[in-house]
Amino acid sequence: MVFNKINLFNFTLFWGILLGASPIRDATEKYIISQFEDSISINMHTLIIDAELKALVQNRVKQRFYRDELYYWNISNNDTTIAYALMDNVLGKSMPITFLVLVDLDGKILSTKVIKYREAYGGEVGNKNWLAQFTDFSDKSDYKVGKNIDGISGATISVNSLTKGVQKMAVLFPLIKDKLK
Amino acid sequence: MSTFFNIALLSIFSLIFTQDEFFQPGSSIGGYGELHWNKANDADGKSIKNEMDFHRFIIFYGYNWTEKWSFTSEVELEHNFIADGEGELELEQAFVNYHADNWGFQGGVILPTAGLLNEYHEPPLFLSVERPNYSKYIIPTTWFGNGIALYGNYSGFNFRLALLEDLEGEGIFYDGNIRGGRGKGFKTTGYSLLKNISASYTGINGLRLGGSFSLNNAPIADENKNASSDSTIAVQLFEINAKYSANNIYAVFEYGKSEFKYEGSIAPFYLNDDAEIVTWSDFSSSGYYLDLGYNVGGFVNTNKLIPWVRISNVSKNDDDVSKQTDYLRFGLTWWPIDDVAFKTDFANVTTDGTTTTEFNVGIGYKF
Repeated sequence: MVFNKINLFNFTLFWGILLGASPIRDATEKYIISQFEDSISINMHTLIIDAELKALVQNRVKQRFYRDELYYWNISNNDTTIAYALMDNVLGKSMPITFLVLVDLDGKILSTKVIKYREAYGGEVGNKNWLAQFTDFSDKSDYKVGKNIDGISGATISVNSLTKGVQKMAVLFPLIKDKLK
Repeated sequence: MSTFFNIALLSIFSLIFTQDEFFQPGSSIGGYGELHWNKANDADGKSIKNEMDFHRFIIFYGYNWTEKWSFTSEVELEHNFIADGEGELELEQAFVNYHADNWGFQGGVILPTAGLLNEYHEPPLFLSVERPNYSKYIIPTTWFGNGIALYGNYSGFNFRLALLEDLEGEGIFYDGNIRGGRGKGFKTTGYSLLKNISASYTGINGLRLGGSFSLNNAPIADENKNASSDSTIAVQLFEINAKYSANNIYAVFEYGKSEFKYEGSIAPFYLNDDAEIVTWSDFSSSGYYLDLGYNVGGFVNTNKLIPWVRISNVSKNDDDVSKQTDYLRFGLTWWPIDDVAFKTDFANVTTDGTTTTEFNVGIGYKF
């Protein structure tokens, strides 16, 4: 029994260290706070995306979900939700790209940020200028690289992949909005 | 005590092996390939080439151990078959990569940064059926070898310093260009090491500006394949490049110049097929190409369709007009989806006043 308690303690401690020390979470929350002038409070949650919903979004965007679980932050001001931040990964050439999309309650993109890029080539998708192109886009927008979204020479794979990833979040948002905390 | 020990152990373990909860290790597979049909006529209109060739088939495999440590590889089969010195099986890339936020390190079989195509050579990324002649004779694409690289980026600027195996001096002598001197990672030497320094700017959407400088003292091997640093060809390659791809405009410009100088006591020579003695003399080569295209996909309701023109000159020896060629090439390239391209092009190829023609059709893909 004592043994079990210790294990449970260790387990909690282990994950506590993991979560508490997450540079990705820190970077994400710092970024969210920097995007709002008013004092806001943010809370991280996760949402399991069920198979049916996944298939619906994947078919429309033509890109698979990297994982079944979506990380999101509720952003509130004086206890009123004003926006959400949705985090997901897409695959670059060989490594996942972790990115964040901030949307208002109507699903309009407020800003987009590459939280972590992990390989040598294609890191230009993290450029602010390039990401600014998605601002004001929504699930109804045309996310076509070369037409509405300028490409980046030398970063074609990550440009195509991230563009679809951002669209995936925009398409997903209206479908999960009622389930979000 | 045991609890304390467990906590200490777990704390250490966590610090060393902590993976961010948003990251999962895993592998990835990709690839690209291209089928070509090349036809050519001589100045009298007589057919001198009619060849179908599945030129390249590449499988890409990557694995990431942690957030920062990953592995990348590319294995290439050229010309669909290997026999009697025809066709090639090559390990074009195989390197360990450490990538921090804005800098990183690579070690293994790597690519020097030289020209637009060397690192980004997937067929849907360039217009013509074959790679530009410039990217063959001035920049020996795909140029790869054993080595290490350090890279970094800051505010839209990208820098890279790569140190690679020596070029092979005798190969440069026989072929008359860097292409013939590529060691391709096969039992190569490291006397002077190829230094490859490059920078590029990608801070404006759709625009890329870049340049690089490479230098090496390429050891010349004797007939017993013994190379030394006493007899070398000093190679310098300088190149600049620009690409703009936005607002339906597609424009590329590349220029490069190489110098080849013998450094040693006795200039090398060999007997050619006609039993004539060919003795080394220093030379330089240079070239450029300009691509201009416009995406009319929106008018005909398809993903991307670009009619284009390429003006190019490749001078394998700046002092010998018989080795200087002008190319005027027109083409039409259609991408039904971004990763698949159907291509066709037609060219007038003029060397020393004689013009031949080329007609090429191809299919390229990547995933």
